[in-house]
Amino acid sequence: MTSPKNRPFPFRSSSSRSLPSGDGTTTAKRGTARRQTPRSPGAPRPVPSGLVPRRPEPAVLGLNVLSYLILGLGLVITLAPFVLSLMTAFKTPGQFAAQPALNLPSPATGENFLTLFSGDRDFWAPIAVTAQLVLIVVVGQLGFSVLAAYAFARIEFPFRDALFWLYLGTLMVPQVVTVIPLYTMFSELGLRNTFWGLVLPFVFGSPYAIFLLREYFRSIPQDLISAARLDGAGTLRILWSIVLPLSRPILATLTIITVVSHWNNFLWPLIITSGKTWQTVTVATAGLQSQYNGNWTLVMAATTVAMAPLLVLFAIFQKHIISSLAITGFK
Amino acid sequence: MAGKLVRREAGIGYLLLAPSLFGILAFLVFPILVVIWLSVNSWDLLSPAKFVGLENFADVFSDTAFRGSLLVTLLFVLMVIPLQTVLGLFCATLLSRALPGSGLFRVVYVVPWICAPLALGVVWKWIFAPTGGALNAMLGGQTAWLSDPVLALPAVASVSIWSQVGYVTLFFMAGLAAIPMQLVDAARVDGANAWQTFWQVKLPLLRPTMFFVLVTGVISSFQAFDTIYALTPNGGPRGSTDVIATRIYGEAFQTFNLGRASVMALVLFVVLVAVTLAQQFYFRKRITYDLA
Repeated sequence: MTSPKNRPFPFRSSSSRSLPSGDGTTTAKRGTARRQTPRSPGAPRPVPSGLVPRRPEPAVLGLNVLSYLILGLGLVITLAPFVLSLMTAFKTPGQFAAQPALNLPSPATGENFLTLFSGDRDFWAPIAVTAQLVLIVVVGQLGFSVLAAYAFARIEFPFRDALFWLYLGTLMVPQVVTVIPLYTMFSELGLRNTFWGLVLPFVFGSPYAIFLLREYFRSIPQDLISAARLDGAGTLRILWSIVLPLSRPILATLTIITVVSHWNNFLWPLIITSGKTWQTVTVATAGLQSQYNGNWTLVMAATTVAMAPLLVLFAIFQKHIISSLAITGFK
Repeated sequence: MAGKLVRREAGIGYLLLAPSLFGILAFLVFPILVVIWLSVNSWDLLSPAKFVGLENFADVFSDTAFRGSLLVTLLFVLMVIPLQTVLGLFCATLLSRALPGSGLFRVVYVVPWICAPLALGVVWKWIFAPTGGALNAMLGGQTAWLSDPVLALPAVASVSIWSQVGYVTLFFMAGLAAIPMQLVDAARVDGANAWQTFWQVKLPLLRPTMFFVLVTGVISSFQAFDTIYALTPNGGPRGSTDVIATRIYGEAFQTFNLGRASVMALVLFVVLVAVTLAQQFYFRKRITYDLA
């Protein structure tokens, strides 16, 4: 096990890591736990032998109060936009126009949400499109990335390292640079404003996922794989019944990253779709905002709906999501 | 026999690699060739493309709107990066005091990061709205934050900072947790106070984290699009928020000058590769402080 002191970002480490712990604990989490013991006020502090344990200083109390005040202020600033926009989403347009923006909705109304999901604004369609898109991209991208990562990690073939460098090199290519040529390519192929136009650029794997998975696969003891091979298991069998079960933490991390970044993706869907049929949630929200400019109660209902699924997901899996952020530094 | 096995294994290797290799060649490598081809052609997607040599390059480099965009992007990066880094480091330092409840703060601070930047941009567009917006309701007055050429860019930058501080905090927390306690304790025993320990022990040891946060921050800020597009469509008042990404978008998909847009994309690409290579160079000669 690499100790947390070595590297805050495991993905930059070279290959020689041992098998990661079962739950993919982050450096950050481990670090905090490690630190809590010696730091918590009042608790006996491990001190070099021969020194008298320090008494809690009165200044520490003042510092703690100040810390809480500052952290609390940060909390309010972070959450206020969410709370305020939610409040607005539950107001009638009349209420919104008549009362100051900071007033609580009274009475709260679901009218905006009803409007959002009815008539020609129907928000169900973009949600359905985005959900399908996310599902297909997650399955395709993870599946194909696993295959490639296993090849890079465990199979010998000519030009392996050169190909791996090619994959790594593409990490440097920013999306803003590829959207124009991809748009012209997809237009020529007749894929503009189609579902496949939305997903194709992402479905064949991501160099970044391949990189992370390769690092992880290399940490699985070769003995396990050799033993299975002696028992007559083929490559796919080994991958499916030995490598993948051992890689659950990194797979969970990559699933989260992929879901979040594709639910939130905006630039490519904005460019490759037109009209309502294949609008994603972000594109529909942007469209609604420009169409109903000034109708803020309806627009805030839309942003609430656009953000709600990931916020719920975050509330449930927050520990794992925060670890994933710290491990991969995604985006 | 052995040769056959090796060949068979190589075959399996290529088979496993095939789908992702296709994806990478078709959607990441080939587009770079296309963008280079586009940059020496004049094309509006309707009439046939016409080879124009380096005309687009000359055009773009003498274009005041593009120069303006470069300047706006630079200003945006200069506003966002120092502030989000200092605030993130500050929050991380407070959180790593491990007071009860620190975990909750850490979770809440990351919430904006999980949300679609586009949706956050739309929420903040309402907050900044001159009438009915939350900010003016709080401060009084009718300030038109997003349509004032002086205020628009700082407003847009503060939304970006607001959404990223929690994420930066997370990295600094990991960096702080990675500092060997022995070093901090040794400084204490030598009589250093918390202030001195921070500046003379912890901050130097945070160099790798600092550099990582700065470089990834610079790279993503240079490409910022979603939030800015939502807050100030069409480049903002007098182009004051027209960063490179929104300029490229407008050039390519609103006025359909694909050649010129491709030149701008290539300029951005070169800038970003330079930043990335600088990072690689730095990490190669970085000093590590492992305790034996």
